[in-house]
Amino acid sequence: EAAAMWWALRAVRRPPPAFRRGLAKPARPRSVRQLREAEEAAPVFQYAGKAAKRKDRVFVWGFCYSGALGVPSFVKPDVGWKKPRRIQPTPYRLETEEKISSAACGYGFTLLSSNTADITKVWGMGLNKDSQLGFQRSIRDRTKGYEYVLEPSPVPLPLEKPQETRVLQVSCGRAHSLILTDSEGVFTMGNNSYGQCGRKVVEDETYSESHLIHQLKEFDSRVVQVVCGQDHSLFRTKKGAVYACGWGADGQTGLGHYNITSVPTKLRGDIAGVNIIQVSSYGDCCLAVSDEGDVFGWGNSEYLQLASVTETTQVNVPRHLPFKIGKIKEAACGGTGNIVLTEEGNVFVWGYGILGKGPNLIETAVPEMIPPSLFGWSDFNPDIRVAHVRCGLSQFAALTNRGELFVWGKNLRGCLGTGRMEDQYFPWRVTVPGEVVDVACGVDHMVSMVKSFT
Amino acid sequence: MAAVPGGLFAVYKPAGVAWGRVREAVETRLLRELNAVPGRAPRQHVRFLPAPGDDGAPGLVAARVPVLADHPLVLGIGHGNKLLTDLYNCHLTKVYTVGGLLGKATDDFSDTGNLVEKTTFDHITREKLERILAVIQGTNHKALLMHSNIDMKTQEAYELAVKGLIRPMGKSPPIITAIRCLQFALPEFQLEIHCLHETQQYLRKIVHEIGLELKSSAVCTQVRRIRDGVFTLDDALLRTQWNLQSIQNAIWDCQLKVKTELEKTLGHQDKIHLHKMDVDMAHAADS
Repeated sequence: EAAAMWWALRAVRRPPPAFRRGLAKPARPRSVRQLREAEEAAPVFQYAGKAAKRKDRVFVWGFCYSGALGVPSFVKPDVGWKKPRRIQPTPYRLETEEKISSAACGYGFTLLSSNTADITKVWGMGLNKDSQLGFQRSIRDRTKGYEYVLEPSPVPLPLEKPQETRVLQVSCGRAHSLILTDSEGVFTMGNNSYGQCGRKVVEDETYSESHLIHQLKEFDSRVVQVVCGQDHSLFRTKKGAVYACGWGADGQTGLGHYNITSVPTKLRGDIAGVNIIQVSSYGDCCLAVSDEGDVFGWGNSEYLQLASVTETTQVNVPRHLPFKIGKIKEAACGGTGNIVLTEEGNVFVWGYGILGKGPNLIETAVPEMIPPSLFGWSDFNPDIRVAHVRCGLSQFAALTNRGELFVWGKNLRGCLGTGRMEDQYFPWRVTVPGEVVDVACGVDHMVSMVKSFT
Repeated sequence: MAAVPGGLFAVYKPAGVAWGRVREAVETRLLRELNAVPGRAPRQHVRFLPAPGDDGAPGLVAARVPVLADHPLVLGIGHGNKLLTDLYNCHLTKVYTVGGLLGKATDDFSDTGNLVEKTTFDHITREKLERILAVIQGTNHKALLMHSNIDMKTQEAYELAVKGLIRPMGKSPPIITAIRCLQFALPEFQLEIHCLHETQQYLRKIVHEIGLELKSSAVCTQVRRIRDGVFTLDDALLRTQWNLQSIQNAIWDCQLKVKTELEKTLGHQDKIHLHKMDVDMAHAADS
């Protein structure tokens, strides 16, 4: 009886849920005080800490099918809806494992190197038909190597102390490449039909799938810069001397003859005894800059590159180019045109092709200055200066001190990175999401090292 | 008494006042003074530059304007209206000082909007801000060249690019020709922006995007036009100067500037209006 009553009461004590709007008030605009309080109570998000470091990135653009850009999905799409991309017209970010300190673009291939002490210091991608990227073992058949490398793959270097030696710089030519280390000399790989790898030419040697990487140590002092021309190599040592080897039919080895050289030999001529601080070459013409601001040239002069001193089209001994444009800081050689940067920050071009002063200037033997206003200089921004100049085969690139990249020249397969396919007759900005630190120009592609903004 | 010469003059519009009211005030004052003068008072039209930022339905304008501060307005009298159109077709740049506040993001990019997010900003330095501004300037310079509709492959395009005279001569999206940081004191900063075809909302959006690039957020606190083509703040007439005499003086002072600018840019077009300006200048010199 009592139990039944207790159960009935229990049932009653749980009333059915009535929809009451007890605490809810009708909506109305919040007062200023409420807004202010809501604002102060809002959570604060942190996207970057106080000690956030700027990240180092690599951007690539140009012709994709050779694999030189290092993005496999451009050539072999990994997802069904993607289509193979022939040209990457604007800068595309390339993910790398380490911070890349030096990059070089060859004729259809690229080398990236890092200053790390880890075992893998150099990565290569692109054309490998002459083993210019070393031996890239194929996964499917362990005895064969890849002809095209589609993503940055480690280059196996025969280092004595792989965990101590550091790679300082890389350089690429038409079918060979040079790797400069700090304590183990220079490593060369690739095609050696003209002795450009610094070793004796072997008749009927097959260069594809070759494991041979040659090491060069015999110089008067430590090598501090290596430069690849089309089929020759230049080495600059700490003492200011320049050595050369490779093809010489245009006099590009500067050794006084037009033959092949297979052992690096010191150059004489006008640079004997001069302290050279920079050399440059990419085609068959070479330029060297001394510490006093003079520029010397040798090699091919069919395009008026050296016409200021001689009428001959091949110069096989370094000649001083008596330009009265100021002290020269940096020089870069392309296939048909040359560019120099003076101490004041002015840029001069000469040679043949699209030189950067509009479509009317096609060739000149004497350097012509590119007006600084084209690089962003104005009364509003008087501090802008060009800091570096670089050359591809028929393109030029200039880096300003604000980290902006300007390009001009023939837009071969989209290599200028402007997003358009037309040739560019005067310096044009490339939009890169970051501050461009360095750029390497090739025949139909370019690679840039960039620091992010924040 | 000679008739008021037609021409252009600039007026200082105080903050928070709709530009329509300013126009009415100047109009009323002018008409009153002219009527007081014995002699025929020619009918006057007063026309205006469509002040950017005040475009759109008038109702909306009143709501947005209070955030922002002062603008010199350019007004025209008589045949000055046609000069106004010509000046507009010159596509000259306007200069603004824009104030920003870091740490907040709102829905209409100004500090009176609804709060969207609050972020930290202690990692931001003046150097980072200047880097972002350099990039904004660079990409806008590229846009300037692209929208100017000149074939980049001609020698003419090269010459104009060297002199810095390439400008879009038609409709184009807002373009910034120059931007720099005047003051930087966390959390506030002030920018000077030179731009073309801009709207007020675009300027606020720029501040917001700068905040995003810096991995934080920013809102715009103040927008102030300090130059409109050839008219600077110095040429603007204050409220106390909205009378016939000062307006006449202002028109006379600015005439030369306006004429040179029009000749330089529209020199190849018809010179009818410029001729009329010459006649006016001669009249004024006589009287």
